[in-house]
Amino acid sequence: MKKFVNDPKQFVPEMLEGIALANPGTLTYVPEYNLIMRSDAPRADKVSIVQGSGSGHEPAHVMVVGKGMLDAACPGDVFAAPPMDYVYETTKRLASDKGVLLLVNNYTGDRMAFDMGKEMAESEGIKVEILTINDDVAVKDSTYTIGRRGVAGNFFVIKAVGAAAEQGADLDECIRIGRKVNDVTRTMGVALTACTPPAKGSPLFELGADEIEMGVGIHGEPGRERKKLVEADAIVDEVLDAVVTDLPYRSGDNVALMINGLGGTPISELYILYRHAHQRLAEQGITVKRSYVGEYCTSLDMAGASITLVKLDDEIEALLAASAEVAIRVF
Amino acid sequence: MTDTQQQVDLVVRTIAQTAVDNETYFGDLDSVVGDGDFGYSLARGFEKVIEGWDGIDRANPGTFLKKVGMIVSSRIGGTSGPIWGTAFMKAGITAGTAQMLTGEDVVAMLRAATDGIKMRGQSDVGDKTLLDALIPMTDRIESELRSGTDPSGVLAAAAVAAREAAEATTDMVAKRGRASYTGERSRGSVDAGAMAVAVIVEHVNQAWPTEGVS
Repeated sequence: MKKFVNDPKQFVPEMLEGIALANPGTLTYVPEYNLIMRSDAPRADKVSIVQGSGSGHEPAHVMVVGKGMLDAACPGDVFAAPPMDYVYETTKRLASDKGVLLLVNNYTGDRMAFDMGKEMAESEGIKVEILTINDDVAVKDSTYTIGRRGVAGNFFVIKAVGAAAEQGADLDECIRIGRKVNDVTRTMGVALTACTPPAKGSPLFELGADEIEMGVGIHGEPGRERKKLVEADAIVDEVLDAVVTDLPYRSGDNVALMINGLGGTPISELYILYRHAHQRLAEQGITVKRSYVGEYCTSLDMAGASITLVKLDDEIEALLAASAEVAIRVF
Repeated sequence: MTDTQQQVDLVVRTIAQTAVDNETYFGDLDSVVGDGDFGYSLARGFEKVIEGWDGIDRANPGTFLKKVGMIVSSRIGGTSGPIWGTAFMKAGITAGTAQMLTGEDVVAMLRAATDGIKMRGQSDVGDKTLLDALIPMTDRIESELRSGTDPSGVLAAAAVAAREAAEATTDMVAKRGRASYTGERSRGSVDAGAMAVAVIVEHVNQAWPTEGVS
């Protein structure tokens, strides 16, 4: 294993400290709870939007804290749900008169921790709700879930809900929008290589030199099937068809198309995938109105990508187009 | 410290100490059909409770129990943490900000704890879990209180009820947790969680002062 790492146990805290040091004045870091929050949060006139999950998916979610996106993120260790006291303490610190919305990817451990954190906060009079994200079409149940997993599509829920909250939407309205976006968002991933958690020091699973894992999860969990590596366009055909037929997306639909890198694939390859996905959708009469190519929700150093579609209407499109500021891009 | 807080301290401290002292025994029970980490997990979590004992917020018994629940659920791995932590948390939420707790309050807290476990674990009576000791025990406490038994007598009866109920899990097939993967093979051994409840209540009963506290 070749990684930039000091003490593997300090992988997450050191990353968070780096994020905090790089963004003085805009982000506040509370080391006790892995909490990264907007320095101007909470605001009494705005719903606080919080996401937490395991680490290892960066930029999700600590690096999308900013205006028009998240107010805070409280990640757990690599691929591990945050402990419930992180959720509770984060909710307490983000408490607003308008409420707190916790965005939770559908994994058993995350849901337990967030349910408990919410119940604790509620017992102290804090207004808080949970919205679950489950966009992965690959498998019905997985190693870590009952029901579908939440993967890269969480970006669109965060973006839409974040924009709505910034525009003054109340808690119920934020939940309505979040559910609506989640309901029209579908994703599937494919892995070319396994990922290596720093504390483990070796690949999480074995994948032969000429093999790919179709429908892989963002923690390296198994997907639909293991196959021989084929050319890029053929991989797009299979992944995209699984996504398109699931909702289904139909001729005449307008969509947002995301090609998300899983951490170890260069952006150039992501655009090769994008090219064919865009063309294939056009052939089916599906119009790509918003495009996203890059790393949004990764799996450490896994080579691979996922394809996400969001069916757009005027409301969703406007929320996705609204301006936002996050810490990870400096020009 | 109020009498109620002293009693809550005694009960929680005894639960924690019993979990730590029985790490190997509870682990052995679990290893028959589970994955054997139950004793270890429980001991590590309650060790944290003992470590931070003096610093736990005692504004009122409810707050104290909620804080204990947070420590337990955050520091015990797997599903045991959230399950056991939920029990303390729900009991604490039900106690609210009251400084004094009656027998009726305690029953309501135990009901909230078992309802919380059912919800968190998606489980119910008969699934071969700790609920199969906790619920019969709570039923017994409620009926003893109704017939006017004093606190020491209630606890003694609770210990007997929990032990009998835990032993009875031997005939059940596990439907939840790791043990459920073994299906029919889980029949013939007691449930580790239910037995842990029984052993803990027996220790609480032994630790309870026989007079001077009402």
